[in-house]
Amino acid sequence: MIELKNILKTYELNKNDKVVALDNVNLTINEGELVVLKGASGSGKSTILSLIAALSKPTSGEVIVDEKKISKLPDNFASVYRRDNIGFIFQKYNLIPTLSVKENIILPLVPLNPPANEILEKLDKVAQMFNISHKKDALVRNLSGGEQQRVAIARANVNDPKILIADEPTANLDEKLSLNFIEILRELKALNKTIVIATHDPLFFDLDFVDREIQVHNGKIVL
Amino acid sequence: MKNKINIYLVEYAINAILRQKSKSFFIVFVFTLLTFLLTSVFFITNSIRYELDSTVDTLPQIIVQKIKAGRHYDIDVDAVDNILEIAGVSDAVARVWGYYYFENAGVNFSVVGIEQYENQYKNSFEKIASKFDLSEIDAKVSMVVGQGVKATMHDSYYKEYFNFIKPDGTLKRVNIAGVFEADTQLESNDVIVMSKDTIREIFEIDESKATDIVVKVANPEEIPMIVSKIKLIYPDTRIISSEDLKVSYQNIFDYKSGIFLALFIISLFTFFIIIYDKSSGLSSEEKREIGILKAIGWRVDDVLKEKFYESFIISFFAYTLGVGLSFAYVYIFQAPILQNIFVGYSQLKTSFELPFIFDLQTLFLVFFLSVPIYIAATIIPSWKVATLEADEVIR
Repeated sequence: MIELKNILKTYELNKNDKVVALDNVNLTINEGELVVLKGASGSGKSTILSLIAALSKPTSGEVIVDEKKISKLPDNFASVYRRDNIGFIFQKYNLIPTLSVKENIILPLVPLNPPANEILEKLDKVAQMFNISHKKDALVRNLSGGEQQRVAIARANVNDPKILIADEPTANLDEKLSLNFIEILRELKALNKTIVIATHDPLFFDLDFVDREIQVHNGKIVL
Repeated sequence: MKNKINIYLVEYAINAILRQKSKSFFIVFVFTLLTFLLTSVFFITNSIRYELDSTVDTLPQIIVQKIKAGRHYDIDVDAVDNILEIAGVSDAVARVWGYYYFENAGVNFSVVGIEQYENQYKNSFEKIASKFDLSEIDAKVSMVVGQGVKATMHDSYYKEYFNFIKPDGTLKRVNIAGVFEADTQLESNDVIVMSKDTIREIFEIDESKATDIVVKVANPEEIPMIVSKIKLIYPDTRIISSEDLKVSYQNIFDYKSGIFLALFIISLFTFFIIIYDKSSGLSSEEKREIGILKAIGWRVDDVLKEKFYESFIISFFAYTLGVGLSFAYVYIFQAPILQNIFVGYSQLKTSFELPFIFDLQTLFLVFFLSVPIYIAATIIPSWKVATLEADEVIR
């Protein structure tokens, strides 16, 4: 279970100027739930995702995942938490363009130094699941947008995380590819993963497998 | 059981180097060049220092030269007897020697007259005196030459004899009786040893004159006192003790070391500019990559390990390449250009071979001046970025 309690998140623009990204946000997401965070650009959706993934810390308040206060974790523990629990699909995919598909997908496994057969097994599993096996040796920079997104999804799943986070996953895709992504999402939901998506793409609204849609406006959750 | 070295991290580091081919090539090129320059200079100075130390060890204790109008003139041979009477002097010998300029090759030969009974010469000459029968050399008008002299003469087709041009323009033919090897090439490479009579004829030196007188003192502690006594008897002489010669050699070497220092400073300066440039910040691509790695679960130390492998591979490769090239340049190719700077007056001296001196200290010094500094310059900015919030770096 993911809990955000009394979250305040501010960004300092300069010494005298602060921007409030989230203001007194309280949110609970149950295990296996698929939640869509809706809202305009700059409303604070991505900041919520960033806090759940421990990519940043709240200015005040607590983020609790499976009863662990991850907002208090030191940097190295936060990395381990991400590696073991979180699969993050970024808006711009954040792949390393000069590496191959295979090398990008296994990146989260590299620090663990697992045996070669274990790496291959995990790689094959996610590459097949997200239909990118045939491009394993291609450089990411030579792939289409849809293919790059599949690589990003495969990378996010290679550690079999409990929580999947996607930030504007269809922002760079056409409608057909967006619908493909929604089908992938349906499959992941069937695997009982907790999924949190931040989007303002209407394609995600009123989907039958989405458990909740939450509106975020000016750093606050609109009930 | 897990491997201690994470092979995937090493592979990632190698990939990272190969991904930035032109940047990596530039760093390897500059790093190799600087390592090569520094190591070559160290190797050359080590070799020359060894040569000079060996030379200084074999110098005569006292040399007496006649000075007139501030210039060196031939001294009366009779002075030997007077010097021998000074208490503490165990031996004194009049030397006949000079420089013969061989115009054809543009080099100077050091021509030394020697007799068998003399024991005042440098160790290497004493060995020559014992090895070759000098009386026979005298009878056959022959000479023994250093290896450099032999090579120079061979180049001019003098294989069995050499024609010296006397001051009156006539020729003096002297046979080459043999070639000697000495302890130090710097000292003996350009040397020709022949009988005193022959050398007197070539340089037209009168029987009653000598180039200088070398004096041996039983107790080295008494050298300063003997020097002052000789000066009292012969005020028109310049008396050089082995200590003075050591200082003189050292001064020449220090002067050369000044040039070395300049090269050294330039090399380090260039290196530190690169280091400064590197440590002053990472490119936005490099920062973003670190941010991505952090976001997908790499810890700070995973990032730093990867950066360590990356910088170690590149710097150690360049260091090894630089040292290897330097070995070949100095000891196989005999350091063209740089040797001339350090040895000096090369146009007038026959060439000599740099002796192979394996100095582990030099290798360590160059290593510690380059590799760890480069690694630190790579790791520190990466550490600065890696310790920021991943979200901030990616954004």
